[in-house]
Amino acid sequence: MKTLYTPELAVIKKVIPQTPLETFFELELTERKTLGHKPGQFVEVSIFGIGEAPISISSAPEPDKPTFELCVRKVGNVTNALLEKKVGDKIGIRGPFGNGFDIARFKGKDILFIAGGIGLVPLRSLILEVLNRRPEYGKINVLYGCKTPRDLLFKGELKSWECGGTVECMITVDLGDENWQGDVGVITTLIPRVEIDEKKTQAVIVGPPVMYRFVIKELKARRLADANIWMSLERKMKCGVGKCGHCQMNEIYVCQDGPVFNYAELKKIPESI
Amino acid sequence: MKNYIVKKERLNDLIENLIKTNEVIAPVAHENFTAFAPLSSPDQIVWGAPQTVIPPKQFLYPQSEDLLAYEFSNDEVKITGLNTVKERILFGVHPCDLNAIGQMDRVWAEKNIDSNYPAKRKAMTLVGVDCLTPCSPEAICLRLGGLDPKGRFDLFLTDIGNSFSAEAATPKGEALIEGAVAAKAADKKKLSAVRKKRNLIFDKKEKKLLPKYQDLPKLMKANVDHPVWEEHGKLCYGCGSCNMVCPTCYCFDVQDYMHVSLVKGVRSRVWDGCMTEEFAKVASGENFREDRSHRLRHRTYRKLNYLFDKWGESFCTGCGRCIKACLTKIVSPLEIANEIYSRKI
Repeated sequence: MKTLYTPELAVIKKVIPQTPLETFFELELTERKTLGHKPGQFVEVSIFGIGEAPISISSAPEPDKPTFELCVRKVGNVTNALLEKKVGDKIGIRGPFGNGFDIARFKGKDILFIAGGIGLVPLRSLILEVLNRRPEYGKINVLYGCKTPRDLLFKGELKSWECGGTVECMITVDLGDENWQGDVGVITTLIPRVEIDEKKTQAVIVGPPVMYRFVIKELKARRLADANIWMSLERKMKCGVGKCGHCQMNEIYVCQDGPVFNYAELKKIPESI
Repeated sequence: MKNYIVKKERLNDLIENLIKTNEVIAPVAHENFTAFAPLSSPDQIVWGAPQTVIPPKQFLYPQSEDLLAYEFSNDEVKITGLNTVKERILFGVHPCDLNAIGQMDRVWAEKNIDSNYPAKRKAMTLVGVDCLTPCSPEAICLRLGGLDPKGRFDLFLTDIGNSFSAEAATPKGEALIEGAVAAKAADKKKLSAVRKKRNLIFDKKEKKLLPKYQDLPKLMKANVDHPVWEEHGKLCYGCGSCNMVCPTCYCFDVQDYMHVSLVKGVRSRVWDGCMTEEFAKVASGENFREDRSHRLRHRTYRKLNYLFDKWGESFCTGCGRCIKACLTKIVSPLEIANEIYSRKI
């Protein structure tokens, strides 16, 4: 019998360590051709005997690609157990869950991506989707901040995101090291350096809870309307299907109505950020 | 609705017969408390007070319920979804709990249907009993819409002396009572006199709700920052007892339990409570509802604001269990509403 809570099996195709804490996984479902997700959605990853954890999908939806990608920080029981798994091992997957980004809203617009730390993981699904159809969008900027150079994710591909100079990527770290020659400072220090056409720009922010208020303040100073600011929120998501109550902020179940929200909506939800 | 009158001894005979072939559950006495438990004799039923510590939700949504089983062999894992369903007849369910079950029927039938609850619900026959006097000083059912069962039962019994008046709301209820009596119209005059007297007693004995019932969501919304949250919240131990005993709290945690052989295990859901510290805390340590006052507000808002707005009725049915269970006496939705109403900010 299959119920709402029955996971499907997925085979691990690739395991690539990214940083001391984060590891990249490529997975393939055993009984379905593709996961069929939207950028910004998540899955519940099952390690049988340990439990489930909600993990953002990091790859763009590509109908012909059988695999999908996750990038996982080793932080709790499930993620610690996941990191023990090897290529060929099977894990459980439920989903995709959540609303994801409404990609149609970004067509023809300038997009300002702002990622803090592992916020880049869910944001990458949208960035790659946009880059796959680069000509359909206006100016694209990617701002990415993390603690130190060794925490940088997707180091190997950040360069390719510049699409031969048609996308501008700026990276900053809170604390540099002897080899770091890039920017040092919090993510908000990058915003004044971006040219923003407030009539055309959609900003998409994903990062730790503490980051949102500061970034929004900067964007408001650049006259960006609330409705043009998008965020993906983190919450405890146990069931993923709007039942268990853990992810609730006010009356909203983030796993169902989120995790992607527009700031104009979020402003009305006191428990949101 | 079909009406019947059944002599008490005839009802006892019926229950005695039912016990032979069915699992019949009712409030029974255990030391100094009562609990819903399988009957071996109709004489065990505690019809009125004291109220059970745990509401009957445990038979629809058990404290621990296996959702799936898995078994490993040769690097493969076999997964089986689980849903243990048993036919059950519940007797002696108070109107507050009947209303709560009616509300749970609505929430569990929302999109992404969880098959576990509806299957258990379908296998359940609900026989309610009218409360003619409040079952405890903590009861606030009349004030919060829980005293009138609103047809949320298969059969509903009202004590009218030597007999029960029985109302059947479903064919299941009709079939059940017709095992004891031939169809017969109720003594409506007597029933209405009993109910009239009942309402007067409840109105006299139960604590008053100062704001209007219909205004509760509006009152809550307008008082997000009322000092009552901080004043009550700072006394909260975060024990979650109010959640555990509440007939309309249905949040859950999911846990894996490996068998000692390490070749198989189950994934279960267990009751969880939004008043506990861990409830909204993620693995990184971030707690999205860290402050006890915010957790108290969240719980109260679910009962009197969010779900009230969504479904048009208070999701506190006034059973009073949380008020009894709360160690610091801070959790009563009625008293919180009254304090907010009388101390406008």
